[in-house]
Amino acid sequence: MKNASVTVRLSTRALLMSAAFAGSLICGMASASAETLTVWSGYPEMAPFYEHVAQGMKAAHPKLEVKVEAIALREHEKRVALGLTGGGQDGVTVIELSGSTATRYLENDLLPEAPDDVSAFVKDAKNFDKFFSDTASYDGTVHGVPLFRGQGALYYNTDMFKAAGLAGPPKTMEEYSTYAEKLTKRDASGKATVSGWSMRLSGGGQGIAEKFWINMHQFGGAILIPAGDGKWKTNFANEAGRKALKQYLANIFTTKTVTPEMPADADAFERGQTAMFIRESWVIGDIAKKAPDLKYATAPLPKGSIALPTNLYVVGDEDDAKIGWEFAKAANAPENLVWLLQNVGWLPNRSGIDYSSVTSKQPAFAAFVDYPKGYEFFTLPSIGPIEEILTRVAAQLVVAFADASMASDDAKIDAFLKKTSDEVNTILARENLLAK
Amino acid sequence: MLKRKRFIFAILAILPTLAIFAYVRLYPIADTLRLSLYQWNILSKNKPFVGLANFRELMGDHLFISALVNTTIIAFGVLILTIPMALVIAALIFHRTRSKMAGFYETAVFIPHVVSLVPAAMAWKWIFDARLGPLNALLDFFGLPMQNWLFDPVLSVICIIILCSWQALGYAVLIYIVGFKNLPVSLYEAAKLDGASGPQSFWHLSIPMLKPITLYVSVVTLVSGFNVYAQAFVLASDAQGAPGRQVRVLVLDMLENSFRNYRVGYAASEAVVLLVIVLVLTLIQFSMLRERGKA
Repeated sequence: MKNASVTVRLSTRALLMSAAFAGSLICGMASASAETLTVWSGYPEMAPFYEHVAQGMKAAHPKLEVKVEAIALREHEKRVALGLTGGGQDGVTVIELSGSTATRYLENDLLPEAPDDVSAFVKDAKNFDKFFSDTASYDGTVHGVPLFRGQGALYYNTDMFKAAGLAGPPKTMEEYSTYAEKLTKRDASGKATVSGWSMRLSGGGQGIAEKFWINMHQFGGAILIPAGDGKWKTNFANEAGRKALKQYLANIFTTKTVTPEMPADADAFERGQTAMFIRESWVIGDIAKKAPDLKYATAPLPKGSIALPTNLYVVGDEDDAKIGWEFAKAANAPENLVWLLQNVGWLPNRSGIDYSSVTSKQPAFAAFVDYPKGYEFFTLPSIGPIEEILTRVAAQLVVAFADASMASDDAKIDAFLKKTSDEVNTILARENLLAK
Repeated sequence: MLKRKRFIFAILAILPTLAIFAYVRLYPIADTLRLSLYQWNILSKNKPFVGLANFRELMGDHLFISALVNTTIIAFGVLILTIPMALVIAALIFHRTRSKMAGFYETAVFIPHVVSLVPAAMAWKWIFDARLGPLNALLDFFGLPMQNWLFDPVLSVICIIILCSWQALGYAVLIYIVGFKNLPVSLYEAAKLDGASGPQSFWHLSIPMLKPITLYVSVVTLVSGFNVYAQAFVLASDAQGAPGRQVRVLVLDMLENSFRNYRVGYAASEAVVLLVIVLVLTLIQFSMLRERGKA
């Protein structure tokens, strides 16, 4: 009898535990039935766009929960590195990455191939130019879905141009310097209070080198150029590099149209603290939000611009990942891309979409889409050490930008460029990427 | 028998703590040493053993050398600024212990140590601002030339030293006050009877007797000085554009090599160099202060 009561008591406990287990299982299943995905972005201004895309998917997926985690680009890159190598992300994650950054993950099989339908969508020439589908692919296999690109153009304050007696934007790099001199506003002591031309002169990371590359591109130079067989070589320890660096130094030390401590970039432009600067199309959206009354216009650069495509990649179990790929395709739906251009300002990569409803209302987009014939684009090489190369070039440039003695000494400039080029070659050689 | 049982019990009792300590403290150090001998790319499947190649590369890496020099200057700068100031401030506060304001003085000095680092650094960034900062306004008021604090190669390092010292001071003062409170009052009374003035007592009694405290505080200050990162990062960071001159420090260089360049093995070799430097300096400090203490 005693044993029986024990048995009964045990059974009751077992029953309760089973009920609790079953309850938690049902809860787990219920939560699992809700489709969830996380979006990792390196551009905080993109968060509303991804939320907009998620909202649009609600009709087909009422239980879809999209968590958008948009943080600063450099932190995003660290998160991706740790997440993809350490398995830090749960469920399905849509990861936004530039083609050049994604390469190192693709080289090491850390980003899965796109499913057949997505691959066909990306490879369809009606949807994407070959340049964009190529940057979303590795060895001919599609791994990502192209979304938007960073492309530079000149932004200039039309009120300041008018006040300086300048009818239109500069057309040559020489004009950039002469215009900057005319546009610079100074106090009684001659110190610049409004920079004529805001240049990236300080800070950490690779941005300084990227901006330098854009300027040097106008003179025909490049930090790296392909040399065939997947090898690369530097192309800046030459006349183009000298002209580009000399222009920076002349503006800093000779004409003093800009100094490292002056407010710079989009913020400065929006506050009227600089007359012109080169930046991507997202600034149009930023100005609309922060300085809607600013009188400005945009213009293509003298020779061409950087075009840095950003793609969406999906990580997760094959079956679960379907919703991620669907999200990436939905992001490329015409209405969403028009929304992106109108509300965020990044340039969508998809072809065959009518963006005129946005571009007609905002003429500033013209410089990004109606560029002259023969306008030459370049992009960052899709090689593993590209960020290390740019970061090291940037570190060298910061030193040069503080060296007044270099401004009038071509030999010193040449020696500096040679030294920097050698440093880049050392990295290329270490990674077996240096052309002979 | 009982003693042995107690001994075994004691060992068993501290074993979990030892195991946790070994796992969270010793294992990472040992693993860092191991990684430094490999070409350990965070993304690569192939991670070959390269011996001392990472260390050889470090010796010719101008960014590492620059980071090492900057970090050393900052660490010693903070030490030199913090220890004497903390000692003097602690003495002043201690001699005002009975004052109603004693608590206020202690709190006021300690607050910077507990304030979150990022907002504090942002506040200092504004203080150092070349155009709008109060520091330059003060210089201008006295007819002195305004400075580009965050952009000049030398001044930007000094800015970090000032910020780090401001933060380290509170902790050092607190420890010194505890030290002062434990000094024997009879000695001071005897010195007073012998005609010693307050500063003389401070110089000839307090400073020698506080040597163990000075040793502890200087080791802690120096080690945290060598680990400087966030201060350099925040002072040079901005959402866009013209943030400030990036003062390269060792931890920043390590992070960059690990998570931007994905060269974890190389970054580990930097960590090993930092570990050796800190260990050697700590040993030197111990030996210097102990020897003098004996004498």
